[in-house]
Amino acid sequence: MNKKTILALFPALIILSSSLFSSKYPDTLETFAVNQGFVKQYKKIVLIFNDYTLPFISNQFLSSLCAGIIGLALLYILYKMVKFFIK
Amino acid sequence: MHICDGFLNNSLAMGLLAGMSVVFSYCLKRVYKVATTVSTITSGSNKNIGICTFEFFNGTNEYIQKLTIIAMWIFALQMFNIHVQSKISAHLIGGVFAAVILGPFAGFLVMSLVFIIQCIFFSDGGILALGANIFNMAFIGSFISYYIYKAIVNKNYHLAIFISCLFSILSAAFFCLVELSVSGTVHFSASFKNMMHLHLIVALLEAVITLVLLRLLKFACK
Repeated sequence: MNKKTILALFPALIILSSSLFSSKYPDTLETFAVNQGFVKQYKKIVLIFNDYTLPFISNQFLSSLCAGIIGLALLYILYKMVKFFIK
Repeated sequence: MHICDGFLNNSLAMGLLAGMSVVFSYCLKRVYKVATTVSTITSGSNKNIGICTFEFFNGTNEYIQKLTIIAMWIFALQMFNIHVQSKISAHLIGGVFAAVILGPFAGFLVMSLVFIIQCIFFSDGGILALGANIFNMAFIGSFISYYIYKAIVNKNYHLAIFISCLFSILSAAFFCLVELSVSGTVHFSASFKNMMHLHLIVALLEAVITLVLLRLLKFACK
């Protein structure tokens, strides 16, 4: 396996770990919004997927893993498109 | 650390979105220029465009590949929430990491693309607030922090990374607070301490993870 493949596989490994071990607690800005009392102003607009989960997969781990892989695939598609246009 | 819709007033959000679109187009132009001429640029003569400090790819296609791989790293790392305090999590922003490897223009571009994908596909951060998120985390956190790094790197590499990461997160938090207070969402002076206190641990975490990632990448490229 060459080093480029290893470098490209590393994010998939992070996503796998993220699906297993990622903290479910709110992040710092959400905590700040709760502390300062403006969290109620939050307007949720869901265009495609909601918060790194897929609605048709009920298993939390698989849902998060697939969402992450889709994110990586989107970046790969973008790379292919840029490569196509630059040629 | 992504601002959601509803926290900022529409005129400020739209203004930042317009401003960041201009910066994005400029960076895209610079990166496109580099991508089409990269094969003729020799390593070390590209300080202004800041191609990279790790020469693991050469040529146009491989330059685009490198941008994609770093974008993938940042996307994946931003998904990983780490438990930092009681009932609070944080994740890497990666602005300094991207800028140190790719340079300020490509770093900004990669960070912005990650935020666009997160916003459109995963509802992470508001659509109207996208400009504010790009300004806080890609422009301040990556573009400006890169120049802090450049100013110190000749004296001490690790210190440069550490300080630029601290600057990156704390200034992003500061500008986020400014935007929220300009929008009338919070009172600046009353919430300043809370905002900075919450992000201090994130800044330290960012510095440590960035140092580890850069070392890992340097090791992988040897």
